[in-house]
Amino acid sequence: MNRTFLTNAFIVALLSVAGCAEQNNPTVEITLPNKNPFPSTYTVPDNTPFAILNANVLTGDGLELTNTDIVISQGKISAMGNDLEIQAETQSIDAKGKWITPGLIDVHSHMGVYPAPSTSNHSDGNEMTSPVTAEVWAEHSVWPEDPQFEKALAGGVTTVQILPGSGNLIGGRGVTLKNIPSITVQGMKFPGAPYSLKMACGENPKRVYGSRNTLPSTRMGNMAGYRKAWIQATEYKKSWDEYVADSAERSLSNTPTRNLRLETLAGVLEGDIRVHNHCYKVDEMAQMIDMSKEFGYEIAAFHHAVEGYKAAPMLAEEGICGVMWADWWGFKQEAYDMVRENIALVDYAKACAVIHSDDPIQIQRLNQEIAKAMSAGNRMGLDISPAKAIRWGTYNAAKSLGLEDQIGSLAVGKNADIVLWTEHPLSVYSHASKVWIDGDLRFDRNDKSLQPTSDFNLGIIKAGAVRP
Amino acid sequence: MKKILFIFTLAFVTTSVNANSLLIKNVDVYKSSGMESNTNVLIKNGEIVAISKRIYETADRDIDGSGKSLTPGLFNSHTHIGAVEVSAIGPTVDYYSDNDSVTVALKIAEAFNPNSTLIPHNRTHGLTHALMIPESSTHLFSGQVALVQLGLNPGVIHDSLAIAVDFTEHGFDLSGSSRAAALVELRQALDDAMDFSRNKKSALAGDHRDYELSYADLAALESVVNGSKPLLVHTNRASDIRNILKLAKEFQLNLILSSVMEGWMVADEIAAAGVPVIIDPINNLPSSYETLGARLDNAKLLSDAGVKLLFTNTSRSTSHNAYLVRQAAGNAVANGLDKTVAIAAMTSNPAQLFDAPVSGDIAVGEIADLVLWGGDPLELTSEAELVMINGEIVPMESRSLQLRDRYFKRLQP
Repeated sequence: MNRTFLTNAFIVALLSVAGCAEQNNPTVEITLPNKNPFPSTYTVPDNTPFAILNANVLTGDGLELTNTDIVISQGKISAMGNDLEIQAETQSIDAKGKWITPGLIDVHSHMGVYPAPSTSNHSDGNEMTSPVTAEVWAEHSVWPEDPQFEKALAGGVTTVQILPGSGNLIGGRGVTLKNIPSITVQGMKFPGAPYSLKMACGENPKRVYGSRNTLPSTRMGNMAGYRKAWIQATEYKKSWDEYVADSAERSLSNTPTRNLRLETLAGVLEGDIRVHNHCYKVDEMAQMIDMSKEFGYEIAAFHHAVEGYKAAPMLAEEGICGVMWADWWGFKQEAYDMVRENIALVDYAKACAVIHSDDPIQIQRLNQEIAKAMSAGNRMGLDISPAKAIRWGTYNAAKSLGLEDQIGSLAVGKNADIVLWTEHPLSVYSHASKVWIDGDLRFDRNDKSLQPTSDFNLGIIKAGAVRP
Repeated sequence: MKKILFIFTLAFVTTSVNANSLLIKNVDVYKSSGMESNTNVLIKNGEIVAISKRIYETADRDIDGSGKSLTPGLFNSHTHIGAVEVSAIGPTVDYYSDNDSVTVALKIAEAFNPNSTLIPHNRTHGLTHALMIPESSTHLFSGQVALVQLGLNPGVIHDSLAIAVDFTEHGFDLSGSSRAAALVELRQALDDAMDFSRNKKSALAGDHRDYELSYADLAALESVVNGSKPLLVHTNRASDIRNILKLAKEFQLNLILSSVMEGWMVADEIAAAGVPVIIDPINNLPSSYETLGARLDNAKLLSDAGVKLLFTNTSRSTSHNAYLVRQAAGNAVANGLDKTVAIAAMTSNPAQLFDAPVSGDIAVGEIADLVLWGGDPLELTSEAELVMINGEIVPMESRSLQLRDRYFKRLQP
C-alpha cells in the first residue's frame, strides 16, 4: 500500500485546494491517517564505547556463558566472547565472578496509568464507559513522574509494556516504553515498537457492564461484544482498502470518515497492532483463538494465563505466548486453578512462556518471580536451568512484544540493555547493581547520582534522597 | 557411614528403635539464637530429643540434610486464612462484615473453615501457623484476632488474641474522613469501655447512659482497657503512629502496631514504648499519602532501633500465598536485616507473642514444628521438603498439586 504521511496542516491545505478541483480527479493525493501521531522523541544517548569483562552471562535466550567479555558501542553490543582484544582506550568494568543478564522486560504493567500514590486524580487505566474502547491509548494516560518507574529500574527492568486495564472487552492500545526518566511519555516510547491492543476475557468485563445492565453481563455476551466490534472493523478496513485501491473512483468526497475505535481494530486486522489478551481460562482461550481465525487476526499473547498449563499444547501450536504469574491465585474464580508449575509446564510444552507482574511491587523483583517458577518446575523434576528460566523475562517477553530482534538477549547487534547483579540473578539476596539501557548507564546501586528520582519525591522523602 | 554409625551405636549401647523417630542428618539448623551448621536433629514422637553433631541412635527414618536447612515452622502474622476461599466471591469471604452493629465483637475465628484449600497449599510450603485478622468495613474497630494452626486437623488455637483497629486512611474514611475525628472516636470508645466496665450491671439493666457501641462490642473491648488484651492497630503515617503511641500511654494499653510503613521515622519511639510491629518488609511504594515514606529497609531500621518484628506479606497474596512471608523475610535480609532476626520475625517472635502451642524455635524438648528446606531457608529456589506441624509430618498434598499432576500426564507424548 502506498501511504503518504502528511502533517495535519498539510492535509487541511490539500483538502482545500482539492475541494475546488474537479471530482474524480485521478491525481488526488491519498491522505491516509497518520499511524504515528505521537512519535517517540527518544534517541540513544551518545556514549563512548565500553566493555564488561569476565562476566558470567545468562544470555536471555537460553545460554549460560562464563568469563565472557562484552563490548558496547553506540548503544549496541558490538562484540561478545571469551578473551576479546579490548582496545587500551576502551573503558572497562571487571565483572569477574559477577552475573549479567539482559534488561528484564515486563509485558504487563500499569505504571504511569495507575501510578503511586493511588488516587482518583491519576487513576487513568480503565476507560470503563463502554465495553469497547479501542480508541483510547494507554500512552495518553501515562504520568511519566510516577515514582514506581524508578523502583522497577532498580529491579533491572528496562522495557515495559503499559496496558489499559481489563474492565472492558477491548480496552484500548498498549504502549511499549523504555524505563527511563522523561518529562513526557514520548521521551520514553520505544522507537518503532509495535502497538498492542488490550482485550479481556472472562469475569471483569461482564462484571463491570453486567452491574449496569448492559451487554456484556455473561461470557456469551463477551463473545458477542468482541465479534460485533470485529465485524465493524472488517467493514471499516474494507472501506479504506477500496478507497486506496480504486484510484479511478477516489475523490475527497468519498474519503471514508475516520473512526478512531475502528482504526485501531483495523490495525490489528492489518497485522500492525499485536493483540495482548487478558484471559485466565483454557476454554476461553480456545474461543478467542477461534474468533481470531474467524476475523483473520493473530493473538500475540494470553495474559494472566493461570490455566496456561491446561492450554500449553494449544499455545505451542498457535504460536501464542502464555504470559503468567509465578504463583498468584484465588482472587477470582477464574484464578482458582493455579499451579506453581504453570510457567515451567508451558515451557515444557515448547510454548512461549513469559513472566509478568501486573504489579508495581512485584515488578521490582521479576528475577525472584522467575526463581520461584523455576524452582516449582524443578521440584517436579523438569530440570530447568537458570539460563532457560531467565528467558521468561527476557527473550520470550521480547518475542511477545515483537521486539526480539532488538532486545531480550545478549548477542552482537542487540541493544545493550544489560543488568549487572550483586549476586546470582535468581537469588533472593541479589540486587541490580548497574542497569544499562542502550548502553547508557541508567542506574547504579553505588552511585546516588545514577539513581533517578521522580519530581514527586522531592521534598517528600528527604531532598535528593532515593527511596530504597 | 551407616556401618560406622552401627558400630558406634553398639559401642555406646544407646540403640533405641522408636516407632516414630526421625533423624535429620548434617543439616544447618536455624535456631532463635543463630544458625548451627551441619548438625543432626533427632525427633521422637513429635518431640525434638537431640540436636548434636554426634547422635549415635538410629531412627525409623533417616533424612540426609546435607546442603539443606531446618527452620521452625513459619508464621504469617496477618492473614485471612480460613475466612476466604475466592476473594471476589462474597459468600466465601468472612473476614469483614458490612453489618455496622458488629464491630469489636466480631470474632473472625468463628468463621474459620478447616477445609479451605488455602490451608494445604500454604502448609506444603512451610506455613504452620497464621494470624487471622479481621478487616474494617463499617467502623474503626475490625474485630478480634485469632491464631490458627494449619496441621492435619487445622484449628483455632486462640479465638481472641487482640482487638484490631484500622487507623489507616481506610479507617479514617469510615470515621468521617478525618484522622482527627477517628482519634476522637477511638478515645470515646475506650472511655465508654471503661465506663461500661465500671457500671456493667446498671448498664445491662438499662439504668446507665447510652453508648455508641453495642454492649457486645463494649464487653469485648473491656479486656483491652484493663490491659489484659492487646489493641492491634494498623497504621502507617509517622504522625498517626505517634498519636496511637500517645493514646496507648494515656489508656495504659497493651499495644501491637501493624503495617507502619513510615515506622522507621519514629522507630526510637516505638522501641521506647516496647511495642512490637507486624510489617510487610517488601512494601516500599508511596501507594497512598500516608505511606510516602515507605522504604525497603523499614525492617532493618526498626530492628536497629530495638523494635521486635513480626512479618507478613500483606502487599501480595495475604492469605492464598501466606507462605510467601518467607520471600518477604528474604528481601528484608537483602536490604540489611540480620538473617536470624528475619527468621525470628516469622517463627519465634509470633509464637511467643501470640502464645502458640509451639515455641517457634528448634530446641531439645520442644515440639517439632519445623520445615526442612532444600537449601538456604530464605532462597526462593529452596523448596519445603518436609513439614512438621505440632509434631506431625504433613502430607505434601494440595488441590494445586493434584491439578498439576493431572495435566502433566496430558502433556506426555
